[in-house]
Amino acid sequence: MNSMVKGGILLVIALMAATYFMAGDAFTLGDDYINDLTMLGAVAIIGITVFVSLKYINQIKNDTATGELASENWDGIGEYTNPVPMGWAIIFIGTIVWMMWYLFVGYPTNQFSQIGQYNEEVNEYNTKFQNKWDNIDEGQMAKMGQSVFFLQCAPCHGAEADGMDGKAQDLTARMSKEQILDVIKNGSNKLGYSMGAMPPGMASGEGAEKIATWISTGMKGDAPAEFGACSSCHGPDGKGMNGMAANLSGYDNTLLSKVLEHGKKGSIGTMPSFKGRLNKTQVTAVSAYLQSIQGE
Amino acid sequence: MFHWLEQRPFFFAVMLFLTIAFAGFIEIVPDFAKASQPTVGTKPHTVLELAGRQVYIKDSCNACHSQLIRPFKSETDRYGMYSLSGEYAYDRPFLWGSKRTGPDLHRVGNYRTTDWHENHMMAPAEVVPGSIMPKYPHMFTNTADIATAYANANTQKSLFGVPYDKEGMPKLGSWEDAKAQALKDAKKVAADMKNQSVKDKVAKGKVPEIVALIAYLNSLK
Repeated sequence: MNSMVKGGILLVIALMAATYFMAGDAFTLGDDYINDLTMLGAVAIIGITVFVSLKYINQIKNDTATGELASENWDGIGEYTNPVPMGWAIIFIGTIVWMMWYLFVGYPTNQFSQIGQYNEEVNEYNTKFQNKWDNIDEGQMAKMGQSVFFLQCAPCHGAEADGMDGKAQDLTARMSKEQILDVIKNGSNKLGYSMGAMPPGMASGEGAEKIATWISTGMKGDAPAEFGACSSCHGPDGKGMNGMAANLSGYDNTLLSKVLEHGKKGSIGTMPSFKGRLNKTQVTAVSAYLQSIQGE
Repeated sequence: MFHWLEQRPFFFAVMLFLTIAFAGFIEIVPDFAKASQPTVGTKPHTVLELAGRQVYIKDSCNACHSQLIRPFKSETDRYGMYSLSGEYAYDRPFLWGSKRTGPDLHRVGNYRTTDWHENHMMAPAEVVPGSIMPKYPHMFTNTADIATAYANANTQKSLFGVPYDKEGMPKLGSWEDAKAQALKDAKKVAADMKNQSVKDKVAKGKVPEIVALIAYLNSLK
């Protein structure tokens, strides 16, 4: 038995002692077979490590190389001419061929993509939305409208829909007298009704005052004679003749979808277009909600 | 077989590096080059918008607001179409931000307007109940730095080849031209505002910070 093997055995014993010293009190042998297996693994690792190292240290110390040296050397360090084994060479070439195939033919292009996942998510949601709300009743409609309103409309119109002291349109009422006078004076042409643009100056002075007062107080009683200028488009009842022109008496679905699509510029300020942000059911829901809070 | 290569260690090392780097090169560079191209319709900021951008940076808006919409339905419902890297091609520096204390602003120009911003910057909590955003009344009195914004745009044009003065792109021209154009843009914004002192200032040829900032925010689409 040479001194290296003795040293190796000594090292193994030392390492095992150290292991026992560090972790030995954590278990007793035979207590739990998982712990036993772990300890057995530790012993195996120590043994294998020490003896594999010993083997190579021994080889470095005692081995002598044989073979034919290649012609070049680096500061006296040479290299043997070892031809590549045939099996290895075939695998090497084969790998290159496979790489070319994988790169140009076999590469999996139909794999995960971030945008693909996003599109799937949207489609899944839309299908679910449609299935769930296909036969929506009126109460649910107003409820949905309220939640859409809170997210999309409340930042400007306020949670109470009152326009927050004139910062935006007060949606609990249709139009104030000032707004009506402003529209009569300046016209309106943004909403894309089939009746076309409303020209400025359809009425003026006292006539405009009368119209504005009548509409803003809820269109009660007989219309003033001056309203004749309005009724040719907005209808004698001011309801917009079934969507041909804007409804002056309330927020119907047509009015709301036109405003959401085109935005609105009035005496208060500008409302941006919400085109594409709400689907049809949601628009109907918001108008149902607005109708449910009128006059509050 | 490879002794001719192994006899030249430096040359060998260089070739080895190139061989290994090649894989990374063909995977990263084409995609990166494609993604960093400006998307169709992306335009450089006008001088007034750049001045507003400086205000945005100066008052650290990007500490609480991001400018990056991720491709999730919950985000695109609230903020609009997800962001593409080409949209930031003319942003120097980009203002993606890393924390959303407030909402994302990358497309705020689509769903907020001048009058809303005016009310909101003066007193955020009055417009959005419960908002913790501080008030920014000083923006209504401070004057925006149009000269620096022009210098900024000019540097980007000459150094980075940002296409100012090209067809269909914002005009830069000389300092006098740019100043006049910025004032013209400012007047358009001020026309939609209610604050009389801001309107008076713009009429006198001065641009308050709020006007520049609103011009910038409205341009985020």
